[in-house]
Amino acid sequence: MDTMTTLNGIFCEVFDEDSIQITRETTADDVDGWDSLSHTNLIVAVEMAFNVRFNLKDTRTLKDVGELIDLIDRKLAEKA
Amino acid sequence: MVMKGQYNIGHICTRQQCEAGRSEKVAMRWISQHMEQTDYTFTQLDQQTNRFANVLGSLGFGPGDIFFTFLPKMPEQFFAFLGTLKLQVIAGTLFSNFGEEALLDRLGDSKARGIITKKSFLKKIGRIRDQLPNLRYVIVVDIEEHQSDDILSYSRLMQEASDRFTAPATSADTPSVLHYTSGSTGKPKGVQHVHGSILSQDMTAREILQLSEDDVYWCTADQGWVTGTSYGIIGPWSIGVTQVHFGGGYNAEHWFDILQREKISVWYSAPTALRMLLKEEPELFARCDLSNLRHIFSVGEPLNPEVIHWARRTLDRDIYDTWFQTETGAIMIANRPGIEVRPGSMGKPAPGIEAAIIADDGSPVPDGEQGNLCVKPGWPSMFVTYLNNPEVYGQKFRGGYYYSGDTAYRDADGYFWFMGRSDDVINTAGHLVSPFEVESALLEIPEIAESGVIGAPDELLFEKVVAYIALHDNCEYSPQLELKIRLHVSNKASTIATPQEIFVIDKIPKNKSGKIMRRVLKARYLGTDAGDISTMEED
Repeated sequence: MDTMTTLNGIFCEVFDEDSIQITRETTADDVDGWDSLSHTNLIVAVEMAFNVRFNLKDTRTLKDVGELIDLIDRKLAEKA
Repeated sequence: MVMKGQYNIGHICTRQQCEAGRSEKVAMRWISQHMEQTDYTFTQLDQQTNRFANVLGSLGFGPGDIFFTFLPKMPEQFFAFLGTLKLQVIAGTLFSNFGEEALLDRLGDSKARGIITKKSFLKKIGRIRDQLPNLRYVIVVDIEEHQSDDILSYSRLMQEASDRFTAPATSADTPSVLHYTSGSTGKPKGVQHVHGSILSQDMTAREILQLSEDDVYWCTADQGWVTGTSYGIIGPWSIGVTQVHFGGGYNAEHWFDILQREKISVWYSAPTALRMLLKEEPELFARCDLSNLRHIFSVGEPLNPEVIHWARRTLDRDIYDTWFQTETGAIMIANRPGIEVRPGSMGKPAPGIEAAIIADDGSPVPDGEQGNLCVKPGWPSMFVTYLNNPEVYGQKFRGGYYYSGDTAYRDADGYFWFMGRSDDVINTAGHLVSPFEVESALLEIPEIAESGVIGAPDELLFEKVVAYIALHDNCEYSPQLELKIRLHVSNKASTIATPQEIFVIDKIPKNKSGKIMRRVLKARYLGTDAGDISTMEED
């Protein structure tokens, strides 16, 4: 499963909405309920699903889903 | 402001403004999350709210029925809210981040007959619908066709409704707005206001926020919050002020772009947002032209002096902190232009408001000493009851005063200084969270045997939600369980209620009658003395 597909499942779980379809351009303004507090839930869920660890600065400056995917892929590459 | 005895909030904020010659004036400049702009004149606001009043009328709603909005900030929120009030239907508002338990508590207690929402929130409502026998209609803003007899398309209904409607003559004591607020025990309570509250909201918008007809005003509060209705809808529109509303969340660049581009002259925001701005790079502010910005106000939780100093240094402005509650409906105590700002203080009482510091035994407390922050009843926006809970309402009034639940002191010059809550309610980012609600949500997780929840100091949020849990014998704490807890509380209660820190302990301290001793947990968290623990249950 690619990063985008796994991430889409995480979004559905975290935001409790099955119909979410993320793209690289998706931002917090496009997903109902994606605020600073649920962002923490999202990051915890992503760390767990991909078995990676982010630092706070990385996750605070993310502008869209594309940047999150790039961050995940970078962390996975560092592990490999 | 009130003409011919017509107190109807929906009428005063729309039709009356048109009759006063503001028909073509922009009432609302809507800025979407993608920074697209749409203007609505007072005529359009009047027509849209008329249509919505007719929609509800055609569905059989009438005076005294209860209808809720459950939407993020969007134009339909404002049309539905004012249209509901025009028909003398009680307008309740719900935060869009509420989970299903929070919805069930509020919709169930109020016996709401209808709700307007978005398609993405239907799932939450669907899960609890069978427990809400009174909920007759769900109106959905983003479906084109009716989904069934009771899940209806907003756009279809609005197309079919007339844009003409005359609000019935409405007396000051007619029920109007309903907000639910959390207490330290039990379920949230429905705070009922009346149409006459507009007198307080109008007066404080003029006297405290110093709004006048030529202002361009921006209130960042969500409409689920009393600030979002009293000062994001009612007060400013009662004066005919142009309001800017933004559909996006916190984004420093967008916010300052809006302040500059829209020439905002009065801005009302919250300490958490202002503290977030304080952390941004100073260059962001340096390149903005804020020459139109006359005043900045804040509400929600105490504003730290360093934020005021930052604003003086960086924005060359004071920030005026204000204090009120869901129950008071309008600003009671405030800093404002014309009165020296004492950083960290709540300011002085609004005109006509008599505030006092009173001891638990009802005696007045001398200046400089802490006590219960109380207000003499009689202001027009005072709540008239807790829905279905008159007993608790009665308990809020003693010796001729309303007890706010906050503690404070007054200095020799008449400034009030917030000290804390007299109960266990947590104030996180301006939202009151009931520890009981979070504890209840935590106990629904099979691994958790006991739970105790407290508020702990937080630099950004003022207070954060901290959970102590005891697990069942055969269960272990793990990152998976942490995520499960986070998502469960977020989706059942709300993201605001989600614990920021979780501690596993062997046993939650309780007194001999089984009541959670949250002060013991708080002392444990802060590393301070727990005081008298003689009543604590022993193993």
